Amino acid sequence: MAEHNSHTSEFEKPGTLLQWLDKRLPLVETWNEHVGQYYAPKNFNFWYYFGSLALLVLVNQFVTGIWLTMSYKPSAAEAFNSIEYIMRDVEWGWLIRYMHSTGASAFFIVVYLHMFRGIMYGSYKQPRELVWIIGMLIFLVLMGEAFMGYLLPWGQMSYWGAQVIISLFGAIPVVGPDLATWIRGDYVISDATLNRFFALHVIALPLVLLILVFLHIVALHRVGSNNPDGVDIKKVKGPDGTPLDGIPFHPYYSVKDTVGAVAFAFLFAVIVFYFPEGGGFFLESPNFEPANPLKTPPHIAPVWYFTPFYAILRAIPDKFFGVVAMGAAIGVLFLLPWLDRCPVRSIRYRGTSFKLLLTMFTVSFLALGYLGTQPATPTLTKLAQLFTAGYFLFFILLPFTSKHEQCKPVPTRVTYHG
Amino acid sequence: MAKGFVAILAGLLISLNVWAGEHGQPLEKANNDLRDKASLQRGAVLFSNYCQACHSIKYMRYNRIARDLGWTDDEVVQKIAHGLNKPTDAVLARGDLKAISKVLGTTPPDLSLMARRKGPDYIYSFLLGYFEKDPNKGVWDNHYLPGTAMPNVLEDKYRFADEKVRQQTARDLANFLEYVGEPIKLYRQSLGWKVLLFLFVFFIIAYLLKKEYWRDVK
Repeated sequence: MAEHNSHTSEFEKPGTLLQWLDKRLPLVETWNEHVGQYYAPKNFNFWYYFGSLALLVLVNQFVTGIWLTMSYKPSAAEAFNSIEYIMRDVEWGWLIRYMHSTGASAFFIVVYLHMFRGIMYGSYKQPRELVWIIGMLIFLVLMGEAFMGYLLPWGQMSYWGAQVIISLFGAIPVVGPDLATWIRGDYVISDATLNRFFALHVIALPLVLLILVFLHIVALHRVGSNNPDGVDIKKVKGPDGTPLDGIPFHPYYSVKDTVGAVAFAFLFAVIVFYFPEGGGFFLESPNFEPANPLKTPPHIAPVWYFTPFYAILRAIPDKFFGVVAMGAAIGVLFLLPWLDRCPVRSIRYRGTSFKLLLTMFTVSFLALGYLGTQPATPTLTKLAQLFTAGYFLFFILLPFTSKHEQCKPVPTRVTYHG
Repeated sequence: MAKGFVAILAGLLISLNVWAGEHGQPLEKANNDLRDKASLQRGAVLFSNYCQACHSIKYMRYNRIARDLGWTDDEVVQKIAHGLNKPTDAVLARGDLKAISKVLGTTPPDLSLMARRKGPDYIYSFLLGYFEKDPNKGVWDNHYLPGTAMPNVLEDKYRFADEKVRQQTARDLANFLEYVGEPIKLYRQSLGWKVLLFLFVFFIIAYLLKKEYWRDVK
């Protein structure tokens, strides 16, 4: 009874608004755990901007996306017209639309660099395997989100790009054709397809994305951030119990990431205001023609961020095994924490074999990305096969080379030159 | 590491150029200028006289053209609508498109976004790309779109005008259609550098603030 009284009086004591809130919601605790007293290694370099930048682009896509839905019409008859209505008649519609279309490409640039950082510095290794897996799920959902969003302008490339990708599901034995019809909601891509893609693009996938991003950050903060040296900063603590090589995220990284965000915004604005088509890569010129189911464009290429995987698909002569290879190219990334058996995280202290393999992987990925934009001539297909081999060889050889890798000694403290 | 990033960007830009150079017949440069209002006004009148019988620019309204090209609503109706439309009307083809498509075998496309699809250079080259296939019958064909159903609407300029006038006509039309493709383009570019200037100043302030905070990180 006494305890009950004291408990009640705790809530009856006068105090500030923050105190009132904090008694009912763990505000201060959450802030401290994730921001104010979240200790991040002090030696983050250039590559560590892309995580916060991905979050910034996510916010950009949410805000501009919400405003686009205010004027966009998800119907085969009206979609293309409504985009031009946004571009011409809606106040600042052109800016909102360009920010959204540029944001889609920016998202993938930032995320690819973020992932590359993770591979370089071994951020996927124990204890961050789950952070990596959740990140890969984010990447997967992001691809779905981008693919469905690309249909919405209902241009020629929207239509035929979606046609090509959905027909891939038709290559799956037995259930394939029915599955493709089920995805489209029709025998061809039609109004029904556009409507469901709109629903998935503006509600379902963004919701999943938001939850996954939340989990990605919470899981990261549970184990702490990796760093360019791959050193575990929690092992060396000062008298106050905080890591000697760590600094609180706020204000140190909030102010540093602000610098990165402004620099990014500058580059972003250069694209939005001066090159909104991104040289035909961010907005493809055939997409300025409304979708026409009776007229196949001479050359169908997916948007640039899918082209590495598209090139792998085309490199395999058999359609079904092409689809399998494309799926495997993404799926195998999930296994990276277990394929890499070297205990040393950072490339700074790893052996030559890893450096060579990673170079081969990176060159293959970029080359496949380029080849995916080009029409498939016999020579280019041969090249695509070569680079497909290079892509997969990284994952095949890594378990063997990493087990016997000659690494340099890892220091106990991070390297930092103030 | 930043160097590696710059190298990746440079590689991307090079491949952009490779992409841009992908055309069959090399195009003539239109050298049009969106800031040249007189050219845009001439282009609008030329469009009305030479193109609008068959082609619409349905995403444009007369009063938008008036506002952007420096005409009043009355002027635009008089100059390019021949008094037949309201200023708020969309710019549609004057002819009966069904009848036209029966004669030509194809429906003339809407030209609102032609410049964004193909570029002003293509429009310029196409308009100047006609040649007489059979002079006795007056049959024309086009270097840039062989077998095109579109008659040589500038035939009078080919027969009775010198090359300079013909080029100017094509340039004004290409200019006008580039404007029609993205009416906001000039404003976008004029706003852009102000945004960049703001971000540049913001960057310096943010950078100095970061330096100040990080002074005690040893």
